[in-house]
Order: sequence, then structure tokens, then C-alpha cells
Amino acid sequence: MGIKKFLNTIMFGEIMSGLKLTFRHMFKKAVTLQYPHEKLTLPAGYRGFIVQRRYENEQERCVGCDLCEAICPAKAISVVGDIHPEFPDRRYAKEYTLDFTRCIFCGFCVVACPVNALAMTKEYAHSSFTREGLIYSKEQLLTLGDKCEEDSIEYLKFKNMWDAENSGKEEGRYHFPPIPSVKSGG
Amino acid sequence: MVKVFVNGVEVEVDSTSTILKAAEKAGISIPTFCYHPRMDPAGSCRICAVELEDSKRVVMSCVTPVSEGMRILTESAKVADARKTNLELLLLHHPLDCPVCDCGGECPLQNMSFSYGASDSRFESHRNDEVEDIKSDVLVFNSNRCILCGKCVRICDEVQDVHAIGFINRGFDTVIGPPLGKKLDCEFCGDCLEVCPTGAITDKFVRYQYRPWQLEKTKTTCTYCSSGCQMNVETEKEAIIRVTSSEGEGPNEGSICAIGRFGFSHVQSTERLNKPYARSFSRLVPTEWDFLIPELSEKLRAIVSTGPDRIATLVSPRIPMEDAYLIQGFTRRVLRSNYIDSGARYGFMNAAFPIAKSTGTLRPMVDHQDLLKAKVILVIGADPTAESNITGLFLKRAIRKEKARMYYVGSESVSITARAKDHIRVLPGGEGLFSWVLSEEISCQESGRHPEFLSRKEELFKSFNVDPQAYTRLVQDLREAQTAVIITGRVFHRLQFAYDAMESLIRMSHALGWIERDGCGILPLPETGNDLGVLMMGATYEWLPGLLDSQDSDNKKRWESTWGEPLSYGKGGGLREILEGINSGAIKGLISFGENPLSHFSPQSGVREILSKLDLLVSVDLFQTSLSDQAHYLLPAASSYERSGHVVSVEGFVQSLNPAMTYWGESLSDGEIVSRLSECMGHPVSSRLTSDVSKEIFTLMPDLSPSTRNGEHFMGPTGNLILPEVVSQPPHKADRNSVASRLSEKTKSVLSPIFPESIPGEGEFVFALNKSLFHSGKMTLLDTSLMKMESSALVRINRQTAKKLKIKKNEMVLIENSYGSCTLPVELTSGVTENELQVPYHFDSPDLLGLFPRELKYSGPCSTVTMLRTRVSLKKIE
Repeated sequence: MGIKKFLNTIMFGEIMSGLKLTFRHMFKKAVTLQYPHEKLTLPAGYRGFIVQRRYENEQERCVGCDLCEAICPAKAISVVGDIHPEFPDRRYAKEYTLDFTRCIFCGFCVVACPVNALAMTKEYAHSSFTREGLIYSKEQLLTLGDKCEEDSIEYLKFKNMWDAENSGKEEGRYHFPPIPSVKSGG
Repeated sequence: MVKVFVNGVEVEVDSTSTILKAAEKAGISIPTFCYHPRMDPAGSCRICAVELEDSKRVVMSCVTPVSEGMRILTESAKVADARKTNLELLLLHHPLDCPVCDCGGECPLQNMSFSYGASDSRFESHRNDEVEDIKSDVLVFNSNRCILCGKCVRICDEVQDVHAIGFINRGFDTVIGPPLGKKLDCEFCGDCLEVCPTGAITDKFVRYQYRPWQLEKTKTTCTYCSSGCQMNVETEKEAIIRVTSSEGEGPNEGSICAIGRFGFSHVQSTERLNKPYARSFSRLVPTEWDFLIPELSEKLRAIVSTGPDRIATLVSPRIPMEDAYLIQGFTRRVLRSNYIDSGARYGFMNAAFPIAKSTGTLRPMVDHQDLLKAKVILVIGADPTAESNITGLFLKRAIRKEKARMYYVGSESVSITARAKDHIRVLPGGEGLFSWVLSEEISCQESGRHPEFLSRKEELFKSFNVDPQAYTRLVQDLREAQTAVIITGRVFHRLQFAYDAMESLIRMSHALGWIERDGCGILPLPETGNDLGVLMMGATYEWLPGLLDSQDSDNKKRWESTWGEPLSYGKGGGLREILEGINSGAIKGLISFGENPLSHFSPQSGVREILSKLDLLVSVDLFQTSLSDQAHYLLPAASSYERSGHVVSVEGFVQSLNPAMTYWGESLSDGEIVSRLSECMGHPVSSRLTSDVSKEIFTLMPDLSPSTRNGEHFMGPTGNLILPEVVSQPPHKADRNSVASRLSEKTKSVLSPIFPESIPGEGEFVFALNKSLFHSGKMTLLDTSLMKMESSALVRINRQTAKKLKIKKNEMVLIENSYGSCTLPVELTSGVTENELQVPYHFDSPDLLGLFPRELKYSGPCSTVTMLRTRVSLKKIE
């Protein structure tokens, strides 16, 4: 046994070299957040809870076309379409349920939606003690959508789905019967 | 025959055929929008373009005839370019609203745009933005999505011959719809909906409620009428959403009538029985099958132990063969009774019995294809369009395309009478006499005729207003025609002397040599889906399965050995004997499988009182009926959309029923109920599975193995044609040789003349119950869709008569006679004779049967209960 090794042992050299990393991090910026007192800034395009959106005149966008249900890989969405009670030539979703216990947050439904009625938000903190509490109805999705409108617009913009709607160009877009400007709860 | 080359493949085709047909023969499919195999080509969609290799020209394959040595390219670059440009032009005004369009997902235009990649158009234009036509209760016309292929207009003109829709305006403004922008008023067959390649015509009943890819298709047979239409019942989560058809498939070749296509909502109505009920202290209380079966079988056993022929069964002719087979076996083996009868006793038996007696089979001599070949067609007392819709369609086609000469004999005008060469109007009641006179005139030489012949013929012309010249033309035509078909229907079978009239017609067809000649014969139209099958399975007191005489000891022995049990039933009887037996106390129990005798007799006739004498009345039905009030047990039955089995069509095809959904609630099929009872009573059945019963039937009666019409063409999802596979199947028509040998045994006996039903006197009217185009029996009254098409009874009155009595449209009239009275709104028509009133029989209110005689009246050797005509007086209500 050499003298060097002896000194290293009595001076706790190995421990010191380990603590060096610890001391170095004491002067760096902390990564940990004190959730729920502090919250993370989420990037654009974050795939959080899915919401339903409305037009400017408060009318719901969803036309009940079932495309989101068709594309959903987790079979989390179920749509029941019917004739709109106020406008007999329009289709609407009589029932729309999104089961967040099944949802894998892949965002396919948002891509499939022809009217930008769906968007993903930065909402993530929704929990429930029951399964039923995480099965959202159309009304719940719309309420959540109203709450997170900015998020949803940001998401659509990030995914390049916003410009097509507002470009004013008609070709290549789905054309629906004109929407009356009167306000209706839908 | 000419030789052509399609993509290098050499095919030989008829010189008159088109390039499309040649390609089809070469096994190459060409996409089409406006082409339809059952109609004349129009060449309007320009999508079936092909290139001719020699001239480098692009032509439309559906309208271009082939020529010798023609070289055709169907997939060249030039063709792809032409099709793509055409699609761009089609999509120029087409709204891109596929997500909300009911056709999205099964749309040939969508598929084609996808495969040719023409979603962007190079042309600048506007999108159509017209308001939809939602005036009709059945169909929605969206002119924006229309590509003006004209298929709907052509199928309405050429196949249905109804002419309800057409092109309105010209050029860019052309739209499809009912004339003058009125509300659609037609037969609501929905064929236009079926052929529309886009979402321009959509179904209003299920508008926006489904997406095609979510629906599960089940191929099954319609059991409303006897046409035997093959249809696709499309369900989502155990609920029927819609009924569609596949082009070219089955005897219907893709057409379905209003009842078959739209009449399914009643089987999923909340009024369906979903639990068995047992009577306790004069109330029906829900119970469980497990308690009910032992209890009921104990009661049955107690009655059976007192002797044979103590319990009677009534069978609905809508149930499949398998159930009928099980029920008759149960009645004869377990209940030891031969009191069994079916709904055929209300009329069709008058045709079935004489035919089976003289020819030995119930299979028809002719089918719909023979109608197309026939030179002369005689329709007596039938409305083919309402009674067997597909027979009506083929009849129309025979007249329109094949130029057949059709004679219509009857008092009323139905939809086909306008197309008849001669509508020989007979005053109501004279149809039987007419058949006898016609048969006597044709069958016998002058010397051999009945002594009363001349006076009877005179009576026909004088009292029944028959046009002598038209009559002579008919006789001449029948004598000379190489191929001829006689169609008889509901009115004919319900005549007082229908049995004798049918015998006269059989005798005439024998005398004319029709039995040996292919393409000639009589085609009686049964009233419901499986009249023929139920009778063939022996669900009637006269016959054991296979139309064997039930009283013959050899036949009995044959079935004893098959079933491995002695048969100790008595003489038995039909509905008449059953009611008499109940009245006298000989019959103690009655099990009714979907039949309700109360709805076929006058309410004052005392049938209700007779039935109240029963110790045990079991009603197996889909709904509560008037019979349920008296039933001791009310058992829920499965509908024909829920069960499997086989039914026999008017043409003799044996086609399968396949379950589209599971049994409603706790309901069971009739066969299953019978099997359970049978097991509980100590007579176990070999198998409860319907498929095993089918197998048993097919082994015992191999000629009843499944068969169907194999169409010439099928239509693929993008409108391309597919050739059918040829499958071997037993013949569906009667064997002419065996019929001929059997008929020739019979001597040409002179039939005694038929007495006409009396002619109404001054101020009197004949009140007739007819079948509506939109209802089938009483079951469809609970159908919301069909009730939208026809919701209440209207009495049809001749225009001239109405004018005389100063009655206007929709005014109420009082119809009365010594038995009863009822008030009804009026519909004016020139379709009925001057002293005739016609009302559809389906509706419960007002009480139409109350106008009929109170005594129980039976007609003919078959003791049928007909309830067809009565005499009434008419008064306008001020």
C-alpha cells in the first residue's frame, strides 16, 4: 500500500470527489419546480386536454361528422350525429363524449377535424376519483374550450391548421351551408 | 359475334354490345357514374372514357358499340387524363361538404376523386349554394351535390315506371326533383336513393344519424311480401339504421319497395314485448321463461292427456320454414292434434289447395324471367305492385321493354292498369264468373261446353259490364300465344268462389297445352312473405311436410319413422273447425304464433266469445294485440330481423333469413319456444339450433335446398360492374314433366258454373278492403316511417259518383249497412268503378270489419275466411 493511497483514504478523497458535483450544482439554477405553487411554462404544440371550440358568434363548430371517432386509435371518442334542432339542413353532434381515461393524447382527432372544432390545450391537471369523472360530454368540452381559447388557437397555429381557415381561399376547403349570424346556444 | 381486344385481352362479344360489356367480359372493370345495368345507357357522366388504340380517340364505353377488331385501352395515360379532367369539371360546383354528407364514405365520386387525385380544380368557379328540398317526409334533395347523371330519373322511369322525379330547368340551373317543385308524392320505393352516386338524394328518416363505415351489414330476405327481396340490413350497436340493396342481387335485382326499405322502425319500438307475461287474477304480469315453460307445459300436458285433437295452433305465414316445421311437429307429435292452420286460410289457400291438388307441388310453373318472355299476360284480381312489388316491376318491364300484351281483369284500376292492352272492367264480384266463362270457352269445343255456358256468358257481358270485344281479343290472344302467364292475386283468392275459379284456370292452362310448354303457367301471388314455405312445411291440417295428405296412413308412417314417434292425432281441421271445436268444447287450448283471428272477423261475429271458452289461450306475438286481452300467456316473439331460417318466395326460391340484431329483450323465436316446451313435455327435439333444423329439412326434402336468382351484373363500390359467380342450386320452378303426368291423369271433368256474387242494387255500393302500398298487415301500423307515408284510412270513390253526390276531396262520408257504420274521409279517383268504395284494410280505426256480416262465413271447399267485400250505402256528412 503506497503513501498516496493511504493519504487519500484518511482524507476521505473519494467522498470529496463525489461531493464536488454536489457543490457545483449548488450554484446552478434549480430544475425542480415547487408544483403546485410554481408551474411549468409549456411549449407551443403541447398535447394536453382536448377541447371543443366555438365560432365567434358563440355557435359550436362541431358538425358531428364522426371523423374524429373514425381516426381515434384508442376509440376514446363517440359521436352521435343528428339534424340540428334549429336549422333542419345542418348536421350537429347530438352527443359527443370523449373518454380521457382511454385517450392517448395523440392529436389525430384535431388533425381529422374539418372545421377546427377540436384543439389541444395546455390543460393537464384534471383528475377525478371516478372513471365517469374523466368521460367528458360535449358541454364539458365546450366549457373547457371557452376557458382555454387562447391555448387552442396557439395549438392550431402551431400545427398549421389555422391559416387554411382564415386565408379566405375557398379551394381545398370544406364548404358548409352558410352559418347564420344570429346567436344561438347550439 | 365480333372479336375485340381490351387491354390486349381478346374477347368475343355480340355485335350489338357496348365496349363496357366487352370489358366486363374480359374481366376488366371501368368506373361509371351514370351507367346502370338495368337501364338504357345515357352517357352523361363521361367517366367511363376509354381510348381506341387505332384512332387514338377517347370514347365513352357505355354508349359506344363494339366493332370487329377494335383495340381498346382502359387504363392509358390519355384515359387517366380524360377522367381526371372530367372529375375536375364535376367537382367544379360540387360542394366539398363530405364530412356532413350522408353519402360520405360510400360515395363513388369521393372514391374516384381520391384515386385520380383531382381534389384541386384548375378552373375558377363558384360552389353551388342552393337550399335543400326538404319538403318530402321521405327523401331530401340536395341539388348542390348532384352531378346530373340522371340515374334516379331513369330508374324511376324505366324500372319503377312511376315518373315521380325529373330534370327541372336547363344548363347550370338543372336540378333533380318532383315536377313543379311540389312535395314528392310517389310509391316511395327509394330506388333513386339507392342508385344516387352522390349525396344528392338522402334518406330523411335517418338523416345525419349514421356514417356508412360504422354500419354492420347483414344480408337477409324481406318477409313482408312474397317477392323474396334480398336486402342489406345495416345496424349500428344492435339498432337498425337503414336497409339497402345490392345491385343485381337476388330476385329483386336491387329494388326494394317502400315497406321493405323504410318499414323497420316498429321492430325497435318501445311497444315491443320484451318479457313473457302470464295471467294472474285477470291481469297479465311479467314473468320469467324458466318459470313459465314448466308451468305452461304442465297445463298443456293436462289437456293432452284427455285425448287427441284437444289443442289447436295457428301459425303466421311470416315465420321461416324451420319454425313452421317445428310448430307442426310439436302440434302433431306432442300435442297429438291436427288442428293446425296458418294465415294462408284468409285467402291464399283458395289458390294453393287446387294447385297442389292437381299439380302435386306449390312451386310455380313460371317465374319473373318468364314474365319477360311472355307474349300475353293476364292479371286477374291482383295488384302486383302492392302485393308482390317485384312481380309488379317485372310486369312493367315486360310491357315496356318486351312489348308483352297485358290484360287486366278487375273492377279497380291499379298502378299497372294504365299499361294494359285492355283493362277488362268487371263489376265487383264477377271475376270468378269471368274465369269460368273464359276457361269453358277455351277448354272445350262448342259441343262439350256446359249447358249454361251461353247464358252465363251473356250475364257476364250484360250484368257485369264486360266489354265483349276485349273479351274476344283476350280469348284470341290466349289461344294463339306461344308464351303466356296468368297472375292471380289477393282479390282473386278472396272471392267467394275462388277455389272453383282457380280450378277453371288450371283446367284452361291444361287445355291450352301450357303444362308442357316452357314459359307458360299460372303465378298466384301469396299475401305474405312465407305463405308457400309454411304450407310446404305442413303448417295446415291438410298436409304433412312435403304436401303429403295428413290423413293418409302411408304418409303418417313415413313421418313416424322419421320422427321416431307414433303419430296419434285425429282428423283435425282448419280455422273453421278450430272455432267450431272451441265453441263445442272439444278444443280446450289454442296457441297462436303471430296470428290474430280477431282481426279477420266482424267484431259482432262472436269470435271473442268463442275464444273466451278456452281453458288455455297462448299468444306469441311481437306486440300486444286484441288477442292479448284474452290470452292466458303472452309470449314475446323475435321479429324476422332477429331470427334465422329460410323463406320461400313467390317464384319458389328458398332464401335465407339472417339475424341482423340479437333477440329483442327476452323474446325468442317461435321455434325455440316450441322446442323448449317440447323438451319440458318429455319429447326432446334433436337440436335447438335453427341451422340443424334447416339441415334436417334439406336432407328430408332436398328440393327445398337454398336457391336464389343470380343476377347478370353486380355493381361495385365505384360503380364498376362485377360478374356474378355461377353457383349450382336446385331448380326453383315446378318440374313440368311430373306436373304433366299428374295432370293428365285427371279427366277433363266439366266444372259446374260459378255463381257471381250479387251485383249491388240501386243506391248501393260495394265496399272492398284492399292492400295498401305502404302497409303490410297490421304490424306496420306501429312503424313511424311507414305511418308518415300513409297514416290513416281514406275511402277511394269514383270521381263521377262523387260529383253526383256532391262530395269533395277529404270530406267525411258515412258508410253504413245493416251491420254497422263508419265515417271516413274521401279520396277521389277514377280508378274504381262507379258503385265501388275501396279502403285499405290495415287500419284499426274506424271499425271496417263491423260492416261485414255477423255470422261466421266461410267460402269454398277450403273454408277460407275472406272478408273482401260487403254492400253498403253512402251518405255525405253535412
